[in-house]
Amino acid sequence: MTAPTLDTAPDTGRGTGAPRFLADLLRVFNANKLSWLGLVLFVGLCLAAVFAPLLATHDPIDQSILYRLRPPSDSHWLGTDSYGRDVFSRILYGARISLIIGLASIALGLVVGGALGILAGYRGGWVDQAIMRVMDVLLSFPTLIMGLLVVAMLGASMLNLIIAIAFTVVPKFARIARAPTIAVRERDYIEACRALGYSDLRIMVVHILPNVLGEILVLASLWTATAIRIEASLSFIGLGVAPPTPTWGGMIREGFEYILDAPWLSIYPGLAVLLLVFSLNLLGDGLRDAIDPKLRE
Amino acid sequence: MPSTPNSASDPAPDNAGVSDTVLSVRGLTTAFNRRGHFHAAVRHVGFDLQRNETLCLVGESGCGKSVTALSLMRLLPGRRQCRVSGSAWFDGQDLLALSEPAMTRLRGARLSMIFQEPMTSLNPVLPIGAQVGEPLVFHRGLSRQEAEREALRLLDLVKIPDAARRLRQFPHQFSGGMRQRVMIAMALACRPDILFADEPTTALDVTIQAQVLALLNDLRQERNLSLVLITHDLGVVASVADRVAVMYAGEIVEQAPADRLFARPSHPYTEALLRSIPRSDRDVGELRAISGQVPPIHRMPAGCRYAPRCPVAEAACLDATPALAPLPGDPAHAVRCRVRNPAAASEGRIGHA
Repeated sequence: MTAPTLDTAPDTGRGTGAPRFLADLLRVFNANKLSWLGLVLFVGLCLAAVFAPLLATHDPIDQSILYRLRPPSDSHWLGTDSYGRDVFSRILYGARISLIIGLASIALGLVVGGALGILAGYRGGWVDQAIMRVMDVLLSFPTLIMGLLVVAMLGASMLNLIIAIAFTVVPKFARIARAPTIAVRERDYIEACRALGYSDLRIMVVHILPNVLGEILVLASLWTATAIRIEASLSFIGLGVAPPTPTWGGMIREGFEYILDAPWLSIYPGLAVLLLVFSLNLLGDGLRDAIDPKLRE
Repeated sequence: MPSTPNSASDPAPDNAGVSDTVLSVRGLTTAFNRRGHFHAAVRHVGFDLQRNETLCLVGESGCGKSVTALSLMRLLPGRRQCRVSGSAWFDGQDLLALSEPAMTRLRGARLSMIFQEPMTSLNPVLPIGAQVGEPLVFHRGLSRQEAEREALRLLDLVKIPDAARRLRQFPHQFSGGMRQRVMIAMALACRPDILFADEPTTALDVTIQAQVLALLNDLRQERNLSLVLITHDLGVVASVADRVAVMYAGEIVEQAPADRLFARPSHPYTEALLRSIPRSDRDVGELRAISGQVPPIHRMPAGCRYAPRCPVAEAACLDATPALAPLPGDPAHAVRCRVRNPAAASEGRIGHA
């Protein structure tokens, strides 16, 4: 490849696009204070998960028959569960698994489902029909049954659990990505791209994806909560994470049995999920705004 | 020369030496599916495009100007909706017979096209610099940094002031005229041989129109470019065209060097078109609209397609399709009218597959 010689005009040799782009992103983040709050909350949760051994006041799987179902107190900040385990420590340790499973499964589902949706929407015709009918079939299964099926086929492990949960959200992401793609596909600039000879792949990745990513990201932040809930359900029927290991979803589900007597069992891990989703939602909003150039000024 | 007999079965015209023809279109027919039947929106279109020449395709809305360009760029939908036949020789290959990957390599690199609507022809979420440099990244394999440097030169080339700052901006920060300049910069990035410009100035203010046309004309000369300018504006034609092809209902009805077409319009439709434009520099008498409408695609008359609206039509015009034939004594001026051009009386071979 030789660089084509182009006309006139001295090269002013100004810098490249990438750092500048990050600077733009930061600027939008600054404009929207709430997205900073989202970032701080999210990083806080991640740090809590990483430093759980240092922050935890008790061993998360240490049982004590004497301290069953204790309400929050000085020694057990968020109370204890039916085995006398410290809820605060379990939430910290549970963050490790729930964050990984929630984020990884949603990320995987977003990539696969988003790609399928954009492909279906962009190509249309039989490609669209084929992809979306398969997605419809997947959607027609209840989420839990679908996850069950996948874990049953692949076996129970952390990775398989992530794959199973991703599997249940792929059709949702495909639907969400397809609709705006169909709208964007008809725009003049996509026609102009074709006239410039760009490949379909390039048009989809470079020109359509940034136009539909905002909507997908916001929903991804909401569906992270769903992913954590599905993990709990699969764990409950023995296909997820094995019982003594704490997960947020698992804790909420265990707490249901004692919801009237010891509501803190479900409420505090529930608040943790809420906090995660809230932070992701603010982040997603901020990212969507950052993608929209009209808000960058 | 439009008069050169040349059917689709002929081998590729030998472009080297003999003439400087960059594109040779013969018998281009594009038919669209309408309720299971294919109807030709463009029929037997043929022309030769010389290097560094501006050919104007003129006609009213729906006459097939844009479809002609889209057919040659192969930007129309697939065979179920649309069928293209004929030949279009470019650089020793028939554009209409090329594989899609081969065509993708030509599009944007050696054949480019710009559109009517500059306001919506740029991706709103990408900075201008990335979009202008992108053809070079895709077709020439330049790195993003190199492409960005070239983008700066290209913006200078299309006379966008303060190009270095403009590169970082987004389409919504550009006016219509500036966006059309950006589109031109993108289309010319890879130094194409041919630029199809589909009504590039229609959406712009009159003052901006003149600037953009002048820019296109300058770039054509500088870069040895061949320009196919699609327009319905005869004022545009008069200011930039070297040669003009007037289209009506999917056919070329008259083709001539611009000065001769304006001096001696010979097809009744061309005459009517010229009479329907207001002139400020001289009195043209009463402005006259052309009565009637272009027949719909599925109900084309059997004979001359203009006959039902034609003031000079004779009975024979309704029966036999006239050929696009050169006027006696003027081989460069071809007219598809049996009344005005005796040579057109028989359905000839010109422009036919």
